[in-house]
Amino acid sequence: MAISTSIWIWIAALLTLSIYSFLYKDNPFYKFSEKILVGISIGYTVSIYFHNTIIAKVWNPLVHDHNFLVIVPLILGLLMFSRLFKGKAYLSRIPIAFVVGTGCGMSIPSSFENLFKQVQGTMPQVFTIGNIIILIGVLSTLIYFFFSVEHKGIIGKVTRVGITFIMIGFGAAFGATIMARISLFIGRIQFLLGDWLGIIS
Amino acid sequence: MIKGKGIPLAISFLTGTIIIIAFFIPHAPFGSFEEISLRWYSIIAGFTMLLGVDSLLRLHTNKIKRKENHWAYSIVLLFGFLLIVIVGIISTIRYGNAFLTGSGFMYMYDNMIIPLQSTMFSLLAFFIASAAYRAFRARNFDATLLLITAIIVMFGRVPISEMISPKIPIFTEWIMSVPQMAAKRGIIIGIALGAIGVSLRIILGIERSYLS
Amino acid sequence: MKRHLLLFLCMISISVFSQELIDSTNVALIDTAITEMQHSGIVLNVCDTPNDDGTSITIKWDINDSLKGYLMDIHRIHGECDTAIALDMNPEKGIHTDNMVHGGTNYMYYALFKKDDIVKKTDNSLPVKAIGQWFNKERFDSFIVLLLIAGAFAWFIYLAKKGKSFYIRKIAGLDAVEEAVGRSTEMGKPIMYLLGIGYVTDIPTIAGLTILGRVAKKAAEYDTRIMVPSYDPVVMTTAQEVVKEAFTEAGRPDAYRKEDTMYITQDQFGYAAGVDGMMMREKPGAIFLQGLFFAESLILAETGYSIGAIQIAGTTETAQLPFFVAACDYTLIGEEMMAASVYLEREPLMLGSIVAEDLIKIIIVFVLIIGFILGLLGHGFKIGFFTDMFEWLVRII
Repeated sequence: MAISTSIWIWIAALLTLSIYSFLYKDNPFYKFSEKILVGISIGYTVSIYFHNTIIAKVWNPLVHDHNFLVIVPLILGLLMFSRLFKGKAYLSRIPIAFVVGTGCGMSIPSSFENLFKQVQGTMPQVFTIGNIIILIGVLSTLIYFFFSVEHKGIIGKVTRVGITFIMIGFGAAFGATIMARISLFIGRIQFLLGDWLGIIS
Repeated sequence: MIKGKGIPLAISFLTGTIIIIAFFIPHAPFGSFEEISLRWYSIIAGFTMLLGVDSLLRLHTNKIKRKENHWAYSIVLLFGFLLIVIVGIISTIRYGNAFLTGSGFMYMYDNMIIPLQSTMFSLLAFFIASAAYRAFRARNFDATLLLITAIIVMFGRVPISEMISPKIPIFTEWIMSVPQMAAKRGIIIGIALGAIGVSLRIILGIERSYLS
Repeated sequence: MKRHLLLFLCMISISVFSQELIDSTNVALIDTAITEMQHSGIVLNVCDTPNDDGTSITIKWDINDSLKGYLMDIHRIHGECDTAIALDMNPEKGIHTDNMVHGGTNYMYYALFKKDDIVKKTDNSLPVKAIGQWFNKERFDSFIVLLLIAGAFAWFIYLAKKGKSFYIRKIAGLDAVEEAVGRSTEMGKPIMYLLGIGYVTDIPTIAGLTILGRVAKKAAEYDTRIMVPSYDPVVMTTAQEVVKEAFTEAGRPDAYRKEDTMYITQDQFGYAAGVDGMMMREKPGAIFLQGLFFAESLILAETGYSIGAIQIAGTTETAQLPFFVAACDYTLIGEEMMAASVYLEREPLMLGSIVAEDLIKIIIVFVLIIGFILGLLGHGFKIGFFTDMFEWLVRII
């Protein structure tokens, strides 16, 4: 293999190297790449929003399907612009209240699902040491999250067990992720040495 | 009245309550309320995106105007933004859809955004190592426990561990499926209750800091 | 209080109303047509899909060995109109849901089994119609739990209104907020507050916004600049509202700078790159990472560490919590983050809601212990009665 002659590969390779230069310190190459990434990605996101939202969810339903219900979110969306006019900014609270209310309303059913799934999963179907440890771990972790009692005496001891479980859990998750992260780096090195420089195939 | 918090609080209350009720009532019009709300949310977000872009562009044009520190890089950002928007418009005119494979727009996405994203993501290989080193130096019980478990699990997941002893990967899987699972379950139960708590506080209007 | 009672009454009225309608749902389920397939003995069962909004019909069948290797088409008949709703399907699937029907309209179905040139056709089914249900019976348990939680909330909020005071335990990460803001002020550095890459419809983001209100108020009191680079424009506008309100509450509306709550980009790693750059150049003295974070968590936290900022993190993402614990000075784990705004504000009604959450936790602890005892006696000691009790408990959950 030989060094790449594609302009796009060169651009991608130089941008890759400039991002890595951040590991040494903040420098003009990183600043350049950072601004390019932010600038291009925001342009890309705006295009996505224009295509998927304004055209697909407002223009088409309104003009082609004559779905006039779309006028309600259209007005809510436009109310957001009241922030640009002094003295009228309070109108933007209306769409904000709507989206926050939506988020809160939706979270309750999904939290129930989580709650039931976890409680049911903790019920030991088979009696093994592992299942008993899981039960002790779940109970002590849950007691760690008690806020209305002071963590001292017996509760203090139980929460200490809970913290131990939490730290072991975090350590395990940490260890399980390390190799995945290293493989990402290997992927970029393969691009630089293979696709760009042609040193490896 | 309209300038106060009354109307927004009532809107949050009604929206939240109707969505909760709709979870139990599949019949129209309740059944589709969540879907409609999400659709409306995405329309609101679509318009608000313009406010976001306005905020970013205003910040950087002001930096350029005032010749603040690093102002030249603000030109790069504006250039990148305008470039992809122009290429997007040209691609739309030429191909009918800018998102088609092979359009200049997608070329820029594939060869500029993707490598930059992947490289930022891969920085984690270095950061995870430095964070582990920090945990190693912390020398308190919790940090040590975290680090020792992390080392055991990492080691148990590489092929060499099985060559040393087949029990190492088995022990690693036990850590993942027993103590790790127990802690995760306890945390998730707490999160579910906490989320219900936050939601109810907002729906009932006890928490109102999100409205000025 | 009226609002709380209204919510409670709403829930009760749905339960009463729904019971009546469950009966009509059952009538709909009886509206089932059974048709025998010609020469094959296969039966197609078509019925209204239960617990839906009346826009789907479920078709079920049992395949026999003689039709193995065949592909299956299902057709819907409405008046003169014959529409294929599924083509070349594996008949071993045994079930198909037609989601393209109108409620209250009669439809008939038939199936074709095809292999090479052989085509076998079933009879048309008897008419069946989709009917919307007024209560989702599968969610009855969730409904009871909701009533329980709403009841607990209403009760403790009522007690708080009556003047009862509630205790909240120490949360180290939140006691450090004052220290973090104070240190930034002493050093003449700004504070950076990151809400992650969630949307306003995500509860961790909403929780992050409520904490932002308290932190921004402290920043205003200390006369320190607070920067909130945002990933989502709706989060940005909401954060602007929150910070503005906090500065007004602190009596410093003049010190509020709208441009400090700015938009970066809605690209995960673009956001990480932009915020990293901002950290390196603005050198904040304290960084708060409160919200929904994914893989970018460690990129942000390690850069924050490298500039020597005090970092207080908090998220509900269990996969990211280990990185925050390793890289930040303080980490609010899951529910601690959800309770943070209450801890910082110490408002009696909010404290009441935290006690209500604890009450539910106590119930869960008891349910788990009872489940353990029943399981031990049932599955461990093989006592049939307890096995049944255990299975019943698991089924309820």
